[in-house]
Amino acid sequence: MMPNLLDVKIGQKVRITKIADKNQTTLKLFSLGILVGDEIEITSKALFGCPLAIKHGEGNFFALRKDHAALIEVETIA
Amino acid sequence: MQTILLVGSPNSGKSTIFNLLSGGQRKVSNYSGITVDASTGALRSNKLEGEAPIQIVDLPGIYNLHPSTLDEGVTVDSLIGSNSRFSEYHQVAVVLDIQRLETSLALAIQLKELVGEKLLVLVNKVDEQEFFNEEHRVKLEKALGSKVLSLSALNEDQVELDKFIRKNIEGERLKVKGKILATKRSLEYFGKGSEEAVEVVDSEKVVLENIKHYQEKARQILGTVYNQSDRIRSQKTHKIDKVLIHPLWGTLIFCAIFYLLFYSIYALAAPAMDFVDGSFGLLADTVAAYLPEGHLKSLIVDGIIAGVGGVIIFLPQIMILFFLLSILEQSGYISRAAFLTDRVMGFFGLNGKAFLPYLSGFACSIPAIMSARTIPNKKERMATILTIPMITCSARLPVYILLVGTFVPSYTVAGIFNTQALSFFFLYFLGTFFALLTAKLFRLSFYRGQTSSFFIDLPHYQRPRLKTALKQMWRKAQTFLKKAGTIILGLSIIIWCLSTFPTLDAEKTVGLSDEVVASRSLENSALGRIGKSFEPVLKPIGMDWKMGVGVLVAFGARELFVSTLGTIYALGDVDEESKSLRERLKAEISPITGKPVFSLAVAWSLLIFFVFSLQCTATWAIIKKETGSWKYPIYAFLYMGALGYSGAYAAYQMLI
Ligand SMILES: Nc1nc2c(ncn2[C@@H]2O[C@H](COP(=O)(O)OP(=O)(O)O)[C@@H](O)[C@H]2O)c(=O)[nH]1
Repeated sequence: MMPNLLDVKIGQKVRITKIADKNQTTLKLFSLGILVGDEIEITSKALFGCPLAIKHGEGNFFALRKDHAALIEVETIA
Repeated sequence: MQTILLVGSPNSGKSTIFNLLSGGQRKVSNYSGITVDASTGALRSNKLEGEAPIQIVDLPGIYNLHPSTLDEGVTVDSLIGSNSRFSEYHQVAVVLDIQRLETSLALAIQLKELVGEKLLVLVNKVDEQEFFNEEHRVKLEKALGSKVLSLSALNEDQVELDKFIRKNIEGERLKVKGKILATKRSLEYFGKGSEEAVEVVDSEKVVLENIKHYQEKARQILGTVYNQSDRIRSQKTHKIDKVLIHPLWGTLIFCAIFYLLFYSIYALAAPAMDFVDGSFGLLADTVAAYLPEGHLKSLIVDGIIAGVGGVIIFLPQIMILFFLLSILEQSGYISRAAFLTDRVMGFFGLNGKAFLPYLSGFACSIPAIMSARTIPNKKERMATILTIPMITCSARLPVYILLVGTFVPSYTVAGIFNTQALSFFFLYFLGTFFALLTAKLFRLSFYRGQTSSFFIDLPHYQRPRLKTALKQMWRKAQTFLKKAGTIILGLSIIIWCLSTFPTLDAEKTVGLSDEVVASRSLENSALGRIGKSFEPVLKPIGMDWKMGVGVLVAFGARELFVSTLGTIYALGDVDEESKSLRERLKAEISPITGKPVFSLAVAWSLLIFFVFSLQCTATWAIIKKETGSWKYPIYAFLYMGALGYSGAYAAYQMLI
């Protein structure tokens, strides 16, 4: 199985390979302009690891909960 | 009248632009979801000679034309002409946030297909990203096929913006082309009469593909407008976030910021309060010296000055609170606070998005309850609405300050914390904690269900503008003074009448001391009799009938508690010199026990009662409006009243 966003360390750049749809995750991500194939980076995790703060593209910052992060499969970028 | 709709993604600066053009006073803050209903205003320039009248409509933010919350539904409904408040309009202006050009642009493209050449494009916040120049603007204009203006609403590019709109607005009524795709599930966000413009699709996939299509198109266009070397600058935000949303440091800083907020409300305001207090005392003395003894003097000195003055004294606190909140709101920190507290909200079965309504609840429940519209899930929304009123709003502040300031001894504990500041913190905490706890209970019972998604955008940090903060502070001060000059003034007069008449028979007072006469006539008055009649209910929570009357009157609005006590105690006070309400409360002696009526236990009993109970008719009305039934405000009133009474009972019995 591919690693998902939860397996990624803070500061590591990754690329989205798949978004499993549940709870309208895809709708929300697409609306914010986050598509499969995009580069993202985790900038921080709140106390006890949830939610996660993420930087996308040039200047999109957003946050999401663990259960959504688990739906986003990624691959690391060397 | 020509009408132009203002559309854009959340936080793109629509409200700022709206205020700029119309001179309106929409609330502006650096987080999403503040504008939740439509607001119309006439252009300021309509007043100029020879200008056609134009009105502008500010709408809630949307990312695309597929609503997933009620507030987004308002915008889409307006666009397709099914908003009953303005069935026709002539132009659409879309606001693009230059810090999020890609997503904003996707919306612009989708709108372009819907309204065609009637679309105007405003690229906002250019002061933040200087790379965007004339060449980029022209390229964008070409690629989109719409007129584009780049501006900074914050730097007040009003004249240019106004001209741009006037030049491009065209007379004909706008008719949308094509249909909006919607899944069955999202139909609940559309209003009546929208059927014609909506095409229901079976699968979510179609909608998703549609959104993706516009995002990809936006990227394509941006690729032609500027190249890799022109980059959006976001290092500042990235760096600040390393500290402010750090799991450990971020959490500590969060606590420090909110403690300081409450500390300054209480500490910074003290000198100003003493000044206002002193001025009213002086005023009362001066007026008293010129008026002959009698009802008129009593009405003015004991009724009006003591009542209204007792409330106005809290003006400094209100101003400080809103000034500091505005600074926080403008900076972009609020969304970070939502991020840091999401875990807690999640624990209580709420969406992290509920943080923002709760936060506005600290100012006032009414806008807070309205902003719950941004919560997509109906059950979560209900749980949020029905608990928000327990968050300590600014109307409780006068009551808290009066009682804490007078009865909680001030000293320093653990080296840095002040007992009075800690008491405030505790009261705020208590309200918030119980609001969340009840929300959790709701989520486990009536409004059971899964916690919906939490996505929140974290806007770029901005340097807060002093001017904006001062404006906000001034606006709140005005509202407060207006209330003091109208409702509170009126009620002070009524309270005075009720507690003066009927008067005691003259023969019953012979041979009695002034003090005894004063207290007997109070008890004999209409208000005294009412109060006395429910004294048995008050006894277990340590209150006497005077406080009971204060609490009763406070059901109109909480500040009235203070003005009512001001009047009642002024009437009972026979000293020549006028004293402040604080001194009078401290000096009040019970005729039965001979001990002071107010003690720490009584003060806390009152405080706790005020933390919980839903004493605000305006809040009842807004709950009815947002939930659609009187049933809900009645529930809320009953359960909060029960909590207040039992809390007061517990506090009193523990401390006595
Ligand atoms: N730097 C900058 N900030 C702006 C400008 N216009 C608005 N803002 C800020 O953007 C944030 C969102 O503005 P607001 O009008 O509330 O956006 P709305 O949610 O679209 O109504 C606020 O913090 C504003 O101060 C601008 O021209 N330049």
